[in-house]
Amino acid sequence: MNQRFIRVQRESFDTGKEVQLLADQRTDIGAVVSFTGYVRDFNEKPEVTALTLEHYPGMTEQALEQIALEAEKRWELKGLRILHRIGRMEPGDPIVLVVTASAHRQDAFDACNFIMDFLKTRAPFWKKEHTTSGDYWVSSRTSDAQAAARWENN
Amino acid sequence: MNQLTHLNAQGEARMVDVSDKKITQRTATACASVTMQANTLNMIVEGGHPKGDVLATARIAGIMAAKRTPELIPLCHPLMLSKVEVELQPDAQLPGIRIHATCKLAGQTGVEMEALTAASVAALTVYDMCKAVDKRMVIGNTYVEEKTGGKSGDWTYASLKSDTQQQAGLQINFFAELREQLGVDNLSLELDDFSGSTLGDLLTHLKSQKQQWHNHLSSPNLLMAVNQQMAKPSQTLKEGDEVAFFPPVTGG
Repeated sequence: MNQRFIRVQRESFDTGKEVQLLADQRTDIGAVVSFTGYVRDFNEKPEVTALTLEHYPGMTEQALEQIALEAEKRWELKGLRILHRIGRMEPGDPIVLVVTASAHRQDAFDACNFIMDFLKTRAPFWKKEHTTSGDYWVSSRTSDAQAAARWENN
Repeated sequence: MNQLTHLNAQGEARMVDVSDKKITQRTATACASVTMQANTLNMIVEGGHPKGDVLATARIAGIMAAKRTPELIPLCHPLMLSKVEVELQPDAQLPGIRIHATCKLAGQTGVEMEALTAASVAALTVYDMCKAVDKRMVIGNTYVEEKTGGKSGDWTYASLKSDTQQQAGLQINFFAELREQLGVDNLSLELDDFSGSTLGDLLTHLKSQKQQWHNHLSSPNLLMAVNQQMAKPSQTLKEGDEVAFFPPVTGG
């Protein structure tokens, strides 16, 4: 049984609960890996007081579906959950969650890593940071593009 | 054609019987905005406002209003809301306040009227608290952004096309920093409005509109999508396509 759950939401989430939702009542899962991304209080500028996440409704969900499908093709997954928040958040708030489940750990580890790398370069989300010295749009990083590129030949 | 469920066979108003509807987890998010003078916005953000903390007051007003919805809207069912969240964001581009209200419950009927009421009353409260310093405020853009659960399923405002959009040639959206730089969220164009028929031809046309547009649309990192799929300039456009231009993505 493979369970796929993808959601873009304004509300916060609880990583522990989401992991449980995936693994509960299942005896075929041997490994669950989760990644949670949080809002930092420093980035390109120090003293980030808040962050606003904009997205392209409709395309975002499709892009996440495609990334999930690609991960399921590459690895033997028993389930996955992707949650991404939009709207205004403050330092310490969770932004993104990827949970992968498989029979053996390597599939779950690699798939989780892969999904995050592609989410960062393919899914239409944009961050605007609010700092004590003004608001600015976060620029994309070449390190993220490189991280996604390393999967191309594998 | 969708029927108006609040009318009976005789065309009289009625409250819809939802007894047999399944109980499902439902959420709705509505938005509204209050456009104001830049100085008024600064006062709110810096907390120098004569009536005190505008955003905190408006947030509470929105939450209280959601709970009063059935008393205001005649055919609306009283609901046991399980959550109301009202978010107010100062936006220097408007300039003004953007409001998002989310209501949630497990029940037999939707919560969009509660979300709309919360957003509307939060907007009215912002107006009330600022009217002494700004008489040119405009409340607007009140609509349901997103709904989940229930018979009509999950949808977002952007995913539903209006009748006019379905007829229009091309719907063009801009996002994030590019949206702010161009000063426009979206526009409609006919395929005959520009020469050529590819995405690249459309981009050339947009660039020729203003010098400023030329500069912002010439970024080598500009991304494009057609019908919500990443696309290249060589892609041919057809009637009804949804086109989008945006900067590199920065989620996660």
